[in-house]
Amino acid sequence: MRNLPSRRGVMTAGVAAALSLALAACGGGSGGGATTAPAAAPSATAAVQDALSKPAELTFWTWVTGIEKTVARFQAKYPNIKVNVVNAGQSADQYTKLQTAIKAGSGAPDVAQIEYFALPQFALSKQVVNLAEHGAAELKDKFAPAAWGQVAINGGVYGIPQDTGPMAMFYRKDIFEKLKIEPPKTWAEFIEAAKKIKADNPDNFITSIDPGDAGGVDSLIWQAGGTPFKTSGENQVSVTLATDPGVKQFVSTWGSLLSEKLVDPQPGWTDEWWKGMGSGKYAVWMTGAWAPNGIINSIPKTKGDWAVAPMPQHDAAKPINAENGGSSVAVIPQSKNIPAAVAFAQWLNSDPEAVKSLNEEAGLFPATKTLLEDPAFRDAPQEFFDGQKINQVLGDASTAVKADWQYLPFQVYANSIFKDTVGQAIDGGGDLAGALKTWQDRITAFGTEQGFTLSAG
Amino acid sequence: MTAPATRAGLARPFLRLRVAGYAFFLPFFLVFLITVVAPLAYAIYLSFFQERMIGGTVFAGLGNYTRAIGDALFGAGLVRVALFLVAQVPIMLLIALLCALAIDSGRLRWPSLFRITIFMPYAVPAVVAALMWGYMYGDQFGLVGQIGDALGVTLPDLMSRSWMLGSIGNMVTWEYVGYNMIILYAALRAIPEELYEAAEMDGAGAVRIAWSIKLPALRPALLVATLFSVIGSFQLFNEPNILQKLAPSVITTSYTPNMYAYNLAFNGQQINYSAAVAVVLGLVTVVVAYVVQIITARREKTL
Amino acid sequence: MTAIADAPATAARRGTHRSAKGKRRGKSPLLTVIMLVMFVYAVLPLFWLLANASKSGADLFSTFGLWFGGDFSLFANIGDTLSYQNGIFLRWFGNTVLYSVVGAGGAALLATIGGYALAKYDFPGRKLLFALVLGAISIPGTALAVPTYLLFSQIGIVDTPWAVLIPSLCSPFGLYLMRVYAADAVPDSILESARIDGAGEFRIFRTIALRLLAPGFVTVLLFSLVATWNNYFLPLIVLNTPDWFPLTVGLNQWNAQANSGTSGAGDATYTLILTGSLLSIVPLIIAFLVLQRFWQSGLATGSVKQ
Repeated sequence: MRNLPSRRGVMTAGVAAALSLALAACGGGSGGGATTAPAAAPSATAAVQDALSKPAELTFWTWVTGIEKTVARFQAKYPNIKVNVVNAGQSADQYTKLQTAIKAGSGAPDVAQIEYFALPQFALSKQVVNLAEHGAAELKDKFAPAAWGQVAINGGVYGIPQDTGPMAMFYRKDIFEKLKIEPPKTWAEFIEAAKKIKADNPDNFITSIDPGDAGGVDSLIWQAGGTPFKTSGENQVSVTLATDPGVKQFVSTWGSLLSEKLVDPQPGWTDEWWKGMGSGKYAVWMTGAWAPNGIINSIPKTKGDWAVAPMPQHDAAKPINAENGGSSVAVIPQSKNIPAAVAFAQWLNSDPEAVKSLNEEAGLFPATKTLLEDPAFRDAPQEFFDGQKINQVLGDASTAVKADWQYLPFQVYANSIFKDTVGQAIDGGGDLAGALKTWQDRITAFGTEQGFTLSAG
Repeated sequence: MTAPATRAGLARPFLRLRVAGYAFFLPFFLVFLITVVAPLAYAIYLSFFQERMIGGTVFAGLGNYTRAIGDALFGAGLVRVALFLVAQVPIMLLIALLCALAIDSGRLRWPSLFRITIFMPYAVPAVVAALMWGYMYGDQFGLVGQIGDALGVTLPDLMSRSWMLGSIGNMVTWEYVGYNMIILYAALRAIPEELYEAAEMDGAGAVRIAWSIKLPALRPALLVATLFSVIGSFQLFNEPNILQKLAPSVITTSYTPNMYAYNLAFNGQQINYSAAVAVVLGLVTVVVAYVVQIITARREKTL
Repeated sequence: MTAIADAPATAARRGTHRSAKGKRRGKSPLLTVIMLVMFVYAVLPLFWLLANASKSGADLFSTFGLWFGGDFSLFANIGDTLSYQNGIFLRWFGNTVLYSVVGAGGAALLATIGGYALAKYDFPGRKLLFALVLGAISIPGTALAVPTYLLFSQIGIVDTPWAVLIPSLCSPFGLYLMRVYAADAVPDSILESARIDGAGEFRIFRTIALRLLAPGFVTVLLFSLVATWNNYFLPLIVLNTPDWFPLTVGLNQWNAQANSGTSGAGDATYTLILTGSLLSIVPLIIAFLVLQRFWQSGLATGSVKQ
């Protein structure tokens, strides 16, 4: 038997975007509804601080490569706490293990990486600790609102943001220049550019869209201003894939791109796809800010050909951006030393030294305002991108993220059946709206069966 | 069957043989109990419950089973693997049989080279199989696309809806031809030498020997290979799961019953329903395997 | 053991006879050509693996798939694979050897003894047990994964090598094969005459039956070896610590890493996966070459009868 379907980067990656400047204001809208985190008892906060100086041993499940280096820095600073870094699998593999271990009553780690899209599921079933009870709500201002919105769920704080993936448009400068195309600022311009590329060579496309990647479409809907999934209270869920205005925007743009065969319905991260990326078959990759590593590592021969621009907009006057991917770090209730686990999770993701290390040594796009605002970060020219200061574009992309997006409390399942429904229409060049409705129906059926009160529209 | 144990003198050797029989079977059976029966019993127990994210676990009686029987996704998957079984298994076993006979015939050059190379695909890990077939089937940069370019024609997309089952069948055949060949080859090696000598004295040629000596002798081994191919077909999982990454819209989460059970348990956390689906699938498999066995046994009698 | 070591001697007879027969009939070019087609079918994808494991990361997605890239980087890639993440590949390799040798050896032995019992001893419940085995394996293991984990967790072996080793010892397929095999390979007449000579049942098994079963044993051993070597799903579920992973799970982890944006800077893991896979197949080929000698050497109900 084999391969668990580990979904690709989109879901797994993360990077953080936090933004900086503008939001410093921050009072208002951290999304997700968690603005009213209850203040932790002072004793709990103190316990977390004390824990750093007491002997403890923690197990940390994560699949981020290179994070051992950041953890080593923690150990150098707090030698009493020993942290075992374990890569127990990626995404759904790890969640299944985690949930089974929690059910079994033993074997779960103290601290675990959980992607934003999966966090509500763990939070709702109380499989992760509400960090607000341990004083984590105080960290709110250190993070980009969009990132914080993903961990602030139902009045609690269930993870510390580690990385995010603000969307950006990575494009082949050489192809755009050859065809005299400007990077599209709106989706209307994007469609025009797609036509020019197709006209130049019918085998080429402006971009591909993956029929198996729910995360990618979630992000495009988010970026169109949509909020099709909403949870309130413990068990009220609403799904509006048929009526949400953002979904409709997405359908009108991508429906015509697909029906006119201007984009290629090709699964990502495959041999065919990478070769297409390397050969110029695709001129654009719209994805999270974590993408540069993948490009640099997998198609090194395209060095100097790539550039980064902000996402095309539906309304250029009111730019909106979205996240694609990203993870938080959560604490598991089974832990025998919750204060130490909380202290570690906080340090790892908010201490300036740690955050810098996560970016430089583990390749994660930063999530804290401190680093995103740091000129050394923003203004560093990237050699692979022909000297472009890409972090300026990506940092601004993170500022523009709309913070009120929510995932379902069973998004892992919903995403898994995406290919059965919406994927069919993407591949068939067909009826996106109808397929989204089918997706909604299956989501609703599942949710109802799981005991939620569903409202659909 | 077993003679009822009678008294002293006669009973003793019988008893000794029985005890020895049990004793020899026991080690296997213990491991089997721990690693197969126990989880299975647990899964069957779980299949009578329903666990919900909101509202906890409730006793569901046969609810999961009635649901599985009426589940259109499950049914479509069953039909698909049945189709696969009918087409792929005979082809694969026939090729395996011919290869085994050829290698055993003594008329082939470099028999051990063929034996190992045909078996080798079975040793390829699944991660690589995915990358490999992604290349082979690729209609742009892959082998299929390049052959098409060279011939100046557009070859069909082997990972499209209409071709997918055949493409999976090809992968399975590639992987398991050598495996089945070895089973049959080992059985051929067990044929007593006298039979050949007698046949040769009668002037029988190679084809004649294959038909009237080797094939009948291979029957039990062929039956085992068939039974396990039947089970393997109903449990088809690896190959479609590998190709799912390359053709997500064709290979849905319920493409085969086993994938369906897997996705229910792993992505949907519906362990209870997943267990019920697996048990129903197992029952269907047992029935089909039993029918195959009866058909073969009847044929044996008529010979 | 001794029985197996003796096997070549007994079998030599048949080998000679066979080749004599072959010489008499002559080789068939047609047959050889047909088998060459099979050869290409079997080997072509493997050739792809070899060619691509020899490419540098830069060539991998930019050169023709079915041929070598500009630079022949196989040895550099092997070096990278062995040293990546502090040489964890070697650790995985060692684990795989441990699981395979212990698991497959044990599985083949248990299946041989059990199959022999089913074929040669008429004990009550025999057919029922046999049917139970077939019935149980008809339930797909994927759905049993979570129950298995929960059970193993209760006996405290999750995330230890035992959780992989113990299930590897069970090979229902091996049992079936050995039952069929033993029925023909061990003549009842030999068993009876040994009993008349007063030999105990275990002694008969050890000194007579095991030798006759050697080729079947080797076949089951080979299958179990490959199955354990490539075992993915079970270790994935029951192991969490990469230090205990077998190669399959480890390589998959690298693959997942390559397919995600979070892979650390500078890790071009695709080439490592290809090279690692190539390396992981080599020991199986060697095992095959070593084991196949026991088929050559023949088994031979016939030769023993005389």
